[in-house]
Amino acid sequence: MRGDPDNGVPVAIARVRGAFCPQCPGSDTAGEMFERSERFMRRAAVLSETGLREVLARACQKTRLMAPVRRGKTSFDFEWIDDPDAVQMDYVRTVLPPKKAFLPVREMLLEFARGAQQAAAPLLDDAPFVLFGVHPCDLTAINQLDWAMGKRHGVADPHYVARRSAALIVGIDCMPDEYCFCTSVDSSDAREGADLFLTPIDAGYLVEVLTDRGEQPLAESGDGRDATPEEEAAPRAHGAEKKRRVTTRIESELEALPDLLERRYGAEVFEETAARCYSCGTCTNVCPTCFCFDVGDEVDLLLASGTRERRYDSCQFLDFAVVAGGHNFRGERVDRVRHRWFRKFVYLLREHGAPFCVGCGRCSKFCTAEIGLVDVLNSVLAEAKEEAVR
Amino acid sequence: MTTVERRFPEQQPDALFVPEMATIGRAENLTAQDRLFEIELPGGKDLGHKPGQFVEVSIYGFGEAPISVSSSPARRGSFELCVRKLGGLTGKLYTLGAGDSVGIRGPFGNGFAMEDFEGADCLIVAGGIGMAPLRSVVNTILADRDRYGRLILLYGNRTPDDILFADELEAWGEDDRNQVLVTIDRPAEGWDGHVGVVTTLFEEITLDPSRKVVAAVVGPPVMYRFVYVELAMMRIPEDHIYFSLERRMKCGVGKCGHCQVEGKYVCIDGPVFTGEALREFHESI
Repeated sequence: MRGDPDNGVPVAIARVRGAFCPQCPGSDTAGEMFERSERFMRRAAVLSETGLREVLARACQKTRLMAPVRRGKTSFDFEWIDDPDAVQMDYVRTVLPPKKAFLPVREMLLEFARGAQQAAAPLLDDAPFVLFGVHPCDLTAINQLDWAMGKRHGVADPHYVARRSAALIVGIDCMPDEYCFCTSVDSSDAREGADLFLTPIDAGYLVEVLTDRGEQPLAESGDGRDATPEEEAAPRAHGAEKKRRVTTRIESELEALPDLLERRYGAEVFEETAARCYSCGTCTNVCPTCFCFDVGDEVDLLLASGTRERRYDSCQFLDFAVVAGGHNFRGERVDRVRHRWFRKFVYLLREHGAPFCVGCGRCSKFCTAEIGLVDVLNSVLAEAKEEAVR
Repeated sequence: MTTVERRFPEQQPDALFVPEMATIGRAENLTAQDRLFEIELPGGKDLGHKPGQFVEVSIYGFGEAPISVSSSPARRGSFELCVRKLGGLTGKLYTLGAGDSVGIRGPFGNGFAMEDFEGADCLIVAGGIGMAPLRSVVNTILADRDRYGRLILLYGNRTPDDILFADELEAWGEDDRNQVLVTIDRPAEGWDGHVGVVTTLFEEITLDPSRKVVAAVVGPPVMYRFVYVELAMMRIPEDHIYFSLERRMKCGVGKCGHCQVEGKYVCIDGPVFTGEALREFHESI
């Protein structure tokens, strides 16, 4: 069974990253510092719904659990939870992506006493936890972040690495809505990064065990049994059905995007998009692959001590590229708007060999001005093609 | 472009964002808004920087800011930072003096490819506070004078009161191999020197066409396009022109994103870029 993608076992990371950027030292890797799932699953088990809830209950008791919960009628979010029954198994997308488990919206880097002569100790959160319910697109994003925060530029971010190394990740398969386009960015079948991956089946869940770490929760559960060959075929069938239902598409091969976009640096659609954009930063805040941050000091009321914090920042904010003295290198909104598409589909795609977009649809779904990431991209591509014809 | 070996500070990996506490050895005001600090690291160790590199300076409660190193690596046991008070951190820093402590992370960035300057006539173009990092270049050249050809320094300021390192400028000019030209933007009382923006100094110099010339340029963003044109007219090849780009580096280690110039990070791939490299960008200067 194992190692045979044609026999019902989904391929986890068969794609070769960096195939079109062979010189790029970072392109083939998300980082060896974390235990990686192997290319193919080690084995498949079946857990009943009750058995799975028990596994989650144990995670709550023994460590910590972050999982999707319902927040509103149609909105979901990843949260630290104590009640395993609150976990939402079936959801399309959360508002904030699970990156917040590793890169919190706000986090303390260090504590200081004002005027201290001693170096502060870094605050590293390495308490084990389970991150449950991660869809393949978000798994792909975690791999992108592992590279960006883990080893890009030869430096690992210790705060990210501490949290990331402490996580046991359980993925779960999903069905798309009209905003999803995972099939265009090669993220619909992702397994890499997960320790366990679930697909809903009649008997409960087919569990792909992907790492050693992933064996532990199953070993502790009396419920798991080996999957039958029919059940082992479930992920493949589920994945195929998911792909069939995806309706939103990028009208280009990924490899062609950097050159096509660069040729249309001044594309009309960036101006049109800028005219609608509010520069609110929602798109980057909800993006599972965006990782830019700001750092600042917070001081207590007595001005005696404080913390150095980092928080999400956005290249869409007016002051993102301001320097001392006031010069703004992206003072025009169109430059900030263009930067978002270029960053995802030109600069980082070239450098890493994969786009920094995983097709989750969050930026388009939550945009206050209803700007669609794929719509804009396809307009640029249409302009490029039109130009090529002429 | 000429690649400069990438260096990262020797520090504990866990302490990537934790500054080392250093002591201000000496501080003096150079102008009404610029102050020069001598910084001593614990144990009197050297910073180990290259000209053109920067450090992140911290004051707890006020944050952190990227500041380029103003002394040359030839100076041992301490280094110097020339700081203009422009924001919260630099405003606070301006009030500090000898014995006060500041946090230091770094050095970061690539720095100037000094090996390219060796044996060449060195044309240094500074605007305002841009003199701070270029002083490190100048002193590197002067510390090993025979290794380099002529040194021509063109330095522009808004007013005579803004001129940094006036005594040193004078001392540098005393050597026949050095030519130091200073200008101010508009006529001012008591100033009998050159008047006009820094590009007007190019008329005052003559380059030896038989010699290799390498240029280093640091100044306000608005200056770069105009200096670029002058250097191109003097037929200095683009890959021998070095510009240092200003960005607001928050992390210094290629993560936070603030210093991106298209696909490059100024804190990693810069801050020094050749003219050739800059031509590839839309949004660099």
